[in-house]
Amino acid sequence: MAGIELLSDQGYRLDGRKATELRKVQARMGVFGQADGSAYLEQGNTKVLAVVYGPHEVRGARSKILYDRAVINCQYSMATFSTAERKRRPHGDRKSSEMSLHLKQTFEAAVLTQLYPRSQIDIYVKILQADGGNYSACVNAATLAVIDAGIPMRDYVCACTAGFVDDTPLADLCHAEESGGGTSLAVALLPRGGQIALLQMDARLHQDHLDTLMEAAMTACKGVSKVLDEVVRQHLQEMSILTGE
Amino acid sequence: MMIKTERILHLKSSRGGKVRVVREHYLREHVPCFSALCQAACHNEGKTLPEDVTHYVVPDAGVVRDFLEVLEFRELQGIVFMQTACQAAQHSRGRRLYNRLRSLLKDPRHDCIHFANEFQQYSYCPREKGETQEKWQTRCIYHAAVWYHDHLAGLRPVVMITEDQEAVAEFGSSASGIYVISTQEYLQSFWPDLLAAHELYSSICQALQERESESTEREYAEHFPAEVLEAGIKSGRFIQGTLNVNKHRAQHEAFVRFEGSTTKNSELNSDVLVCGGKNRNRAVHGDLVAVELLPAKEWRGRNTALHEGLGEDKAGEEPQSKPMPTGKVVGIVQRNWRDYVVTFPPREEVQSQSRNSQRILVTPWDYRIPKIRISTQQAEALQDHRVIVRLDLWESTSLYPNGHTVRVLGKSGELETEVQTILVENCINVPPFSEAQLRQLPESSAEQPWRVEPEEVSSRLDLRDTHLVFSIDPLGCEDVDDTLSVRLLPGGTRLELGVHIADVTHFVQEGSLTDLEARSRATTYYLADRRYDMLPGVLSADLCSLLGGVDRYAMSVMWQLDAQSLAVCKVWYGRTLIRSSYQLHYELAQSLLNGEQAEVPELDRLDDEAERCRRRAELLQALRLLTRVARHLRAQRDQGGALELEGVEVRAQLDSSKNITALVPRQPLEVHETVAECMIYANHWVARKIQENFPHQALLRHHPPPRQEFFNQLIDSARTRSFAINTRSNKALADSLDQAVDQRDPVVNRLLRMMATQAMSNALYFSTGACSEEQYYHYGLALDRYTHFTSPIRRYADIIVHRLLMAAINAERGLAPSKVLASNKDLEELAHQVNNRNRASQHAQKQSTELFQCLYFKDKDPLTDERCVADAVIYAIRANGMLVFIPRYGLRGPVYVKNRENQVVSVEGDGSCEWKAGALERQVDRISTTTSTGTHNFSIFDHITVRISVQPSRCHPLNLCLEVISSRPHQAPVAEAQPKGRGRSELVQEVVRLAEEASQQAEERKGRVPKLSKEQREFRQSKQPNLYSILQEIAEMALLDLHACEAPSAEVQTCSTSA
Repeated sequence: MAGIELLSDQGYRLDGRKATELRKVQARMGVFGQADGSAYLEQGNTKVLAVVYGPHEVRGARSKILYDRAVINCQYSMATFSTAERKRRPHGDRKSSEMSLHLKQTFEAAVLTQLYPRSQIDIYVKILQADGGNYSACVNAATLAVIDAGIPMRDYVCACTAGFVDDTPLADLCHAEESGGGTSLAVALLPRGGQIALLQMDARLHQDHLDTLMEAAMTACKGVSKVLDEVVRQHLQEMSILTGE
Repeated sequence: MMIKTERILHLKSSRGGKVRVVREHYLREHVPCFSALCQAACHNEGKTLPEDVTHYVVPDAGVVRDFLEVLEFRELQGIVFMQTACQAAQHSRGRRLYNRLRSLLKDPRHDCIHFANEFQQYSYCPREKGETQEKWQTRCIYHAAVWYHDHLAGLRPVVMITEDQEAVAEFGSSASGIYVISTQEYLQSFWPDLLAAHELYSSICQALQERESESTEREYAEHFPAEVLEAGIKSGRFIQGTLNVNKHRAQHEAFVRFEGSTTKNSELNSDVLVCGGKNRNRAVHGDLVAVELLPAKEWRGRNTALHEGLGEDKAGEEPQSKPMPTGKVVGIVQRNWRDYVVTFPPREEVQSQSRNSQRILVTPWDYRIPKIRISTQQAEALQDHRVIVRLDLWESTSLYPNGHTVRVLGKSGELETEVQTILVENCINVPPFSEAQLRQLPESSAEQPWRVEPEEVSSRLDLRDTHLVFSIDPLGCEDVDDTLSVRLLPGGTRLELGVHIADVTHFVQEGSLTDLEARSRATTYYLADRRYDMLPGVLSADLCSLLGGVDRYAMSVMWQLDAQSLAVCKVWYGRTLIRSSYQLHYELAQSLLNGEQAEVPELDRLDDEAERCRRRAELLQALRLLTRVARHLRAQRDQGGALELEGVEVRAQLDSSKNITALVPRQPLEVHETVAECMIYANHWVARKIQENFPHQALLRHHPPPRQEFFNQLIDSARTRSFAINTRSNKALADSLDQAVDQRDPVVNRLLRMMATQAMSNALYFSTGACSEEQYYHYGLALDRYTHFTSPIRRYADIIVHRLLMAAINAERGLAPSKVLASNKDLEELAHQVNNRNRASQHAQKQSTELFQCLYFKDKDPLTDERCVADAVIYAIRANGMLVFIPRYGLRGPVYVKNRENQVVSVEGDGSCEWKAGALERQVDRISTTTSTGTHNFSIFDHITVRISVQPSRCHPLNLCLEVISSRPHQAPVAEAQPKGRGRSELVQEVVRLAEEASQQAEERKGRVPKLSKEQREFRQSKQPNLYSILQEIAEMALLDLHACEAPSAEVQTCSTSA
């Protein structure tokens, strides 16, 4: 049963974007003073807060210590008010622990952890409003927070989703499109080298379409990286004015 | 760039509560306006509104919702559908209306565009607090209309039409150049001459008013809402499927054939029975419904008794088969309503009905459709007319669905009306080709014949001098779409076989008007007395037709075969230029092969005797070589298990010949098979080529293996004559059918083959991306891949295949494709469309044949006329009668042995039959009647004598009625139809004589109704209807059905090549 029409004959999506257009991305770095790094990011109506602590010595079990690099600890959570219906979201449910794991993998690939052996980096992200593409918004926000904390990375990690409707790849899905029943592919990319930090797809897709879909997702990631780069530069400018350099 | 805004929606959550949802909404400055008048250099791609309209018209949401049909008139130009209106229509009337709107927007013949007003920065207006949805929509559309007017710098006035009088008052005079008026006013002031639109408008209006004044008494259970249905179907609680009403018991029985592999209900492998009107719950034949199964103790069996058309009597005590899953309709997933032809009741009934209101119950032509309630004031004028009606809705409070009239076809019972009825009922729409379309085509006349273009000569392979090309077709064929060539290559070790097909795609560019028209027709329609071409005559009979002695463009497949083993060494595909040397017909080719001194017209024109002999020898050699190759190919396929359903090909040949008027007893000649085999081979190789090049978007044709349980009747019937039929594979089936020959009665084998054909499903076109590779198999032909390539003049599928093949060739040469190929989804949609049209064409052909059969018997007195008495063979037994087949007329029908007064047929000593009180007993293979005079058995394959008469019917198609008059084979002065030889030609003469008699009657008929000729001119495209030819066709039909009995059902063509 066909639900709503995700892509009209004229090439418009539900919210008026064309297939390759991203949602509006807005971000601010350094929103909290207490943490080592923090960032707030809006990707369309998905709003995320990311906070980074560290690198600091490993807390808790000493067995976690890695002697050649830093441990990255990620925690993902959603605010109770983040969705249309208010819902209590206990910590450690399956979905968020999976998401935490994904974030961890992504940042282990991007952060130069070997510079900080025997230490730990904590990344906390919280979804304030969920409207599709939660994972990618989290990665993008966390990247900014890590940069804000001054932790060296190989490159920006930019993430974006892409879906496939009527043989056309759609970039950056919103909630309505994600729940429309199609495929959704999430990519986290290190844009300069084109390395993929994480690739995730749950639904089925014909193999032949994979390339076009990947292509679309990677183009979208590069678009996001430009925005993030601008945000970082602007932030630095503001900071340098503040510090009077 | 884009501006982000938000819109707030209030939706219902899955648990029924209200949820506030915030959605983003992006606005942009540049939204294409799709008008040729655009001053702002909009990026208009695709369809645009022309400059030469006097005004633009913007329909309001309500107008789109209720009066889309009026807007569908092609005369109305410059329609701008605003996005708001489209979405509102989709929201309130569902997917069906929306799809209709979409196809309207896509149709380039129709002057309308879609404007995404809600995404345009300046034309969008957010909904205000407290504003009703309707008000907001109207405001939005008005706002957008104003923007549109300003965008075009006020060059054309914009007319907004609405049914909302408040809007007219509010916006009516607020801006210059923009007029807000009601639909009626619009039609009256702008299109006063378009009467059809006015009538349709008032008809819909009346239906709408009627709807408001509906009573509230509930007749049916409410349907479940769509979400519940969807969830239920997913969980397996409901079964989704298409409702199929039993034609003979339309009031009581319907079946739901469920689609896809609902594995959750694996114990359900048959259809679901839906008994009675309450359980059917307003579903109409063809709707996609959801059914819920009743508890097993309420299950019932299907009725096995024979039934006359209108079965009004009670079910219950009638014999039933063993109980089968029974259910009730709980919801309708999708309506599949089409246009229906109905007949108005005679005056006395009208009066009795119209006392309470203006509503009238009309009876559809199709038995399976319930009566429709219509409100009209024209009932008086329309009585006994056939009228096209559309259904509007069916509320649970109403016993019958509501509809409105669309168009009057004519008085019922007239030939032209009846033929039009058949067309409408099969959704066949064949208007004459438009001027604009014909203007796009090259011209060719006797004075100025069309010539080959020089640049084409250089780009094509020129075979005019190197190859001996000839065509073999039925006598008098006009549209020759296939020619053949065969030659021994120098060196003598290799043969070259060539199949050259008319290059239609050269003339029919993708996206041109001719292409679109051909696509919507999808095939040439052959009715019993006329045909409707897919392509205009200049193409089908001239430029594309590979006539003898003229240069023509062709698409060729040429194989290099090993001269000894006939194995393929090399295949070449490409565009060529040919000149056919001989335009042979089948009989001529066969007699040449047989070594007879038949005259070849092309040779007789030569003066030089020696030259003539040489040419003759050359042609003969080619024909022999061809026969040898074809035999080899056939043998190869036979090994694979190709089904040899005899007569199949004869019927198909008849189909493919344009000239049905040629009255030749078509004996199955070997040369038929030779040509067919070459065509199959070409189709097969082209299928391989395009499938390899485009694994996901090639158009192929497959024939799925039949379901084993469908063979039960065949196996049971064969067992009565102690033949064993093995249906395990197509090869086993073919072999066992070959063995099942009764020496004394050749009809038996034909009947068995007929049943085998009936058991099979239809061959279908599909896109390779939509099926797995195992499903490509063609069961009937025993080929792993098959497509249609050889008749582009009369099948649209072949045109697509030609394009695919060209794309494949170009891709191999490294050329960039000129156009993006259709995606898998588009192709699958197209394949579906073509399949539908093919089915419609076959139904129409069958129905028109039946119509003519009835007309043939109508004026004969069954009691005295000897022609109404015929020999019949029983081929199936039912609870109160049997199904018989009449070889002489190729008719099939029911014969009752028990009538309504519960009397049974009693057989006297000399075989004659009478109705008497008695008992009836039914076994698997026979039915026996016991009366005071004794017991008589009617067994399968018995010959009996029946009398044929016509059952009059006012609203429905005429029916033939068969009545047993003797239990012995018919002894008639006319020789019975022997399958071969003299008998047949005698029958031909007989039928011709009858036809001539019928001609006089037909003339009288025509004389009575002079009005008819106008309609004929309007609807008919073939050349002047020659009365004699029509009657010859009646005669032909009897013949045709003689073949039809050998392979009667629709899928015949599937197994044959229909070259």
